[in-house]
Amino acid sequence: MSATALEATGAAQARPGLRRLLVYATHNKGTYTIWLLTTLGYVAAFVALPLLVGHAIAAAEKGLPRSEVALRCGLILVVTLARFAFRYWSRTLVFNAAREIEYELRNDLFAHLQRLPQSFYQRSRTGDLMSRCVNDLGSVRLLLGPGILNLLQTPILFASVLAAMVAIDPRLALAVLVPYPLFIVISRGFGGRLHRSNLAVQEGLAELSNGLQETIAGISVVKTYAMEDAVTRRFAAVNDGLYRRQLSLVKVNAAMPPILSVLPAAAMGIVFWVGGGEVLARRMALSDFFTFSMYVYELTFPTFILGWVVALVQRGAAAMQRIEEVLSERPSIADRPDAVAVSRLRGEIEFRGLTFRYPGVGRSPALRDLHLRIPAGTSLGVVGPVGAGKTTLASVIPRLFEVDDGQLFLDGIDVNRIPLATLRRNIAMVPQDAFLFSMSLADNVAYGLPETDRGAVVEAATRAQLARDVDDLPQGYDTIVGERGVMLSGGQRQRTALARALALRPSILILDDTLSAVDAETEVLIQEGLAEHFEGRTVVVIAHRVSTVRDCDQIVVLDEGRIVERGSHEQLVAAGGLYARLARRQALEAELDEGPGVAAS
Amino acid sequence: MSVEALHEEEALGKAYDLRLLARLWRYVRPYRGQVALTLLLVVPLFVLELTPAWIVKVGLDTVIAPAIAGAAPAATTAPAGGHAAPSANALAAAAANRLGLDGAAHLFAPPHGFPPLAWLACLYLVFMFASAGLQFVHAVVMSWTGQSAMRDLRTDVFRHVQRLHLGFFDRYPVGRLVTRASNDVENVAEMFAAGIVALVTDVVKMLGIAAILLWLDPRLALAAFTVVPLLAVATIWFRLGVRNAFRLTRVRIARINAVLQESITGMKVVQLFTREDRNLRDFAKLNADHRDAWYDSIRYDSALFAAVEVAQGISVAILIWYGTGVAAAGTLYVFIDWMRRFFLPLRDLSAKYSVMQSSMASCERIFQLLDTPPAVKEVAPEAARLPAARRGEVEFRDVSFAYQNEDWVLRDVSFRVAPGERVAFVGATGAGKTSVIKLLTRLYEPQRGEILLDGVPIRELPQAELRRRVAMVLQDVFLFSGSVAENVRLGRPDLDDAAVERAARAVEAHRFIEKLPEGYGTELRERGTNLSAGQRQLLSFARALAHGADVLVLDEATSSIDTETEALIQTALRRLWEGRTALVIAHRLSTIQDVDRIYVLHKGRIVEHGSHAELLAAGGVYHRLHRLQHPADERSAGSVAAG
Repeated sequence: MSATALEATGAAQARPGLRRLLVYATHNKGTYTIWLLTTLGYVAAFVALPLLVGHAIAAAEKGLPRSEVALRCGLILVVTLARFAFRYWSRTLVFNAAREIEYELRNDLFAHLQRLPQSFYQRSRTGDLMSRCVNDLGSVRLLLGPGILNLLQTPILFASVLAAMVAIDPRLALAVLVPYPLFIVISRGFGGRLHRSNLAVQEGLAELSNGLQETIAGISVVKTYAMEDAVTRRFAAVNDGLYRRQLSLVKVNAAMPPILSVLPAAAMGIVFWVGGGEVLARRMALSDFFTFSMYVYELTFPTFILGWVVALVQRGAAAMQRIEEVLSERPSIADRPDAVAVSRLRGEIEFRGLTFRYPGVGRSPALRDLHLRIPAGTSLGVVGPVGAGKTTLASVIPRLFEVDDGQLFLDGIDVNRIPLATLRRNIAMVPQDAFLFSMSLADNVAYGLPETDRGAVVEAATRAQLARDVDDLPQGYDTIVGERGVMLSGGQRQRTALARALALRPSILILDDTLSAVDAETEVLIQEGLAEHFEGRTVVVIAHRVSTVRDCDQIVVLDEGRIVERGSHEQLVAAGGLYARLARRQALEAELDEGPGVAAS
Repeated sequence: MSVEALHEEEALGKAYDLRLLARLWRYVRPYRGQVALTLLLVVPLFVLELTPAWIVKVGLDTVIAPAIAGAAPAATTAPAGGHAAPSANALAAAAANRLGLDGAAHLFAPPHGFPPLAWLACLYLVFMFASAGLQFVHAVVMSWTGQSAMRDLRTDVFRHVQRLHLGFFDRYPVGRLVTRASNDVENVAEMFAAGIVALVTDVVKMLGIAAILLWLDPRLALAAFTVVPLLAVATIWFRLGVRNAFRLTRVRIARINAVLQESITGMKVVQLFTREDRNLRDFAKLNADHRDAWYDSIRYDSALFAAVEVAQGISVAILIWYGTGVAAAGTLYVFIDWMRRFFLPLRDLSAKYSVMQSSMASCERIFQLLDTPPAVKEVAPEAARLPAARRGEVEFRDVSFAYQNEDWVLRDVSFRVAPGERVAFVGATGAGKTSVIKLLTRLYEPQRGEILLDGVPIRELPQAELRRRVAMVLQDVFLFSGSVAENVRLGRPDLDDAAVERAARAVEAHRFIEKLPEGYGTELRERGTNLSAGQRQLLSFARALAHGADVLVLDEATSSIDTETEALIQTALRRLWEGRTALVIAHRLSTIQDVDRIYVLHKGRIVEHGSHAELLAAGGVYHRLHRLQHPADERSAGSVAAG
């Protein structure tokens, strides 16, 4: 994926990203200004040093007293130390600035990601987003640090050195310069090749990880058909391909420094030949010969680096473009200018002909012309087959997805005009996948509270029938759970997610098939607790099990995005439709679950 | 896994670990020729790198200095300060003698009629080019070695991963495995290009330069080296400081990325609970900690970088101050040039250090993966037993199995399936049906009991042999990316196109395959999404048939299949199990009415068995299961067998 981004890096596409980068750079104007000054100081010391070396040698050459030589050598020391200070200062400044921008950019990325709607997360892969936030940010930082440092410093350095050389001996200076234009040719040639080789290796790596992923996904087939050898052969072939691509990249990478080193070498040859001739012809002092050769030598490293920097800048620009893609994504779900100042909701929900379609071409609506009113303080049960639109119905209420104006009202106010903070403070939803964070159990339960209040945590945990499991955990409420902590059972996770929602004490509670992994007995206990606690609050329960919704004030059956049946449990059972069939089937299942000892009725 | 994730970044302190290096050596060993070559190349590389400066020296001392000296004595580098200095020529000659360069001196002598300076300049360029060329060769050989060793390591990782039992993959995310085989291996390869080998080369180079300089002019060399202790102190200070600074930055970036990853996966919860502001504050704090840790690293790195330049500058000052009195201009030149090369390797020490650190950490993680023992062990070749005859008899004797601890999925399950018999397993979800076949194919190992194939415990059967005899058609038909034919063949090269087509015809798959754009050569997309569920099922039948096993294990599809294909599947199924022992895991009860015997599993135990009619009549669990699936036929349950 980064390969395609690299490929797509025309200068034009990279521009918006670079423009944004410039904005960040201006935040650090002060640092960059001082850095520029230190760079000038560094360049001055850099240019002065060979001059001083020549100066010192000239003293000896001309037979000046030893004290004069010592004095001039002392000057070298002083300038060396100055150069040290400037070098240290300038490097630290620009690298720190790069880190500072990385820091700001990462914060902004994080903040932006938090603002992006669920529809964005549905079409993006976590791995890809992570790669943008980690790898691409790293490349941008390299562009800002060593990239800018060398991109700016090297030309100044070359120009100043050239000026100094011209001042000493214009003819030799021009002669020395002859090989350097080759740099452009070399870096052009290498730039393209390096780019292609890098791309090929990226593709090779992608192929390799695809192969590995596919094998692991199909590992049971691999094992049952004893395909290990065949699959290994196949992997080895992909691996070989990658190996060959890497070798060609290795060759390009290894060729760059030696070929670039030819430039200063040729320059030095010229100094030796032409300069030596000048000295022989007595047109130039031997000390100037030293100065010239030292200049050429000192330019070797910047020349090397410049070759590397070209690739660095290219990669950094491509990376910034990929970050820009995320940052320019519009947070479509945000407070609107015409928002109504409301902070407390009573909990009335009304769908007025809601039709909802997930973004994407050619997708049929997930909800069609939904008319439904849930008075404040009542409960709604939603059942229906997989893919009927149940979760979608639950998700649009807290505005996880964008619905059109005039279709969904809370307390009579269009949902799009309610401030997000109000909306989400008053609605607690327990999503289907009980996602927990890598923090203590107490912090997870108190996730939506301003701070972890142990009393509130215990109360919510008790209502969610979670409290009785807590003693079994190694550190009770302080046990770290989530992906990087203790693994809770599916039922425990769901009950934690439920407790997290209950702790909010919302006006509207939405349970999206929340208790699927909780055993029937516990479910009854939870429902009893909820009934008592949620007296007077609005509850939307989405369930697979009829038993979960049977006590709701009204129940709707969804099928293919439409309400096909509605009524109370008794009414629906009597109607003998989809709901009745489901109810009967589940009653049988429950019976079956009781085991062989129980006779069939 | 969770523990590993938390401690993953803790192991990052070391830049070298002999134990790991020794293990890595096993992968490098096959390429020891290349390793030897890289080491051997260091010598000519070294010579080629140092020679050009020597050529300049020869030019200065033999061409330029005498000419200047002949014209005006004051212009020599000979001092006025009273040092008794030998003439420049004599000194050069003496040095050349000491180095045994007399012969070489002839090389530097220009052919007749060639201007000496031009000749030397040409020589200079030749050596420079040769040096550049050899540098290239050296770098390529170095990376080539690394990449070759890493290719083998990667294949090893892959082979090992395949041997691990299925339970491993439930715990170890695929993403992490991919990281091991790609990024981590890449990191280790880096070490060959920029880490350990470069380090060795650098040390050799520094020692070599020091030795030659001391030999050339001990006094001047010692004077120039007075800065070395200073630099040594700086380096040690740097090494100590940078180790912690780097570790801190890594630990902190790992934390940031963990939070980032978690936030992206759990974004819905973040937004639902309006935690955005608080999370951003927390994140900004972590982010700032990371940035500040880098400030430390940058200080160390910049200080070392600048210190190397200072050392160079000081040594030049010392050389001029001390050398102009005693040494010829050429010697001075050589000293200045070579001293710079002496200091150069120290400049990117921090980069090398960081490469080594991350290589070692990656190395450790890879070896940890390779050390994970495969739970299902292959029988030792000498202990392997083969059944006397291929009949297709399957027997379970008191088999108990749990995926985890004591959560028994199967308890004391015993049954025997005679050759050619067809039996079905039914039961509610979670009753243990699927576990039966996972055990029979040794995807998992039971904790207690014995499973026999044709009278031989499957533990004592080579796995390849077991899998040749037992073919499995899984519920979730997995198709690999590749052609249709390859998906039937599944890595068996002896199955030619005719055999593939024969199998496809037999199971009614030929007709739809023919209609595909390129018939048997049609490329199937990842996970076979361009085929319908029914077509995939048929293809998997063809697979099983083509592989010609004695025992057929069918995990019936739960996904809905259109009635037309369903009919095809029923025909195909009958064709498939002709003359074979068949074990069917039935989810829908519709396919099993003509099996010989049905086993009813409930909570891991076999609670009933018998024919369809017998079980229905008994009115037990099977009866209820049947009612569940055919509620409409409830009253005529007995007559369903026909339909």
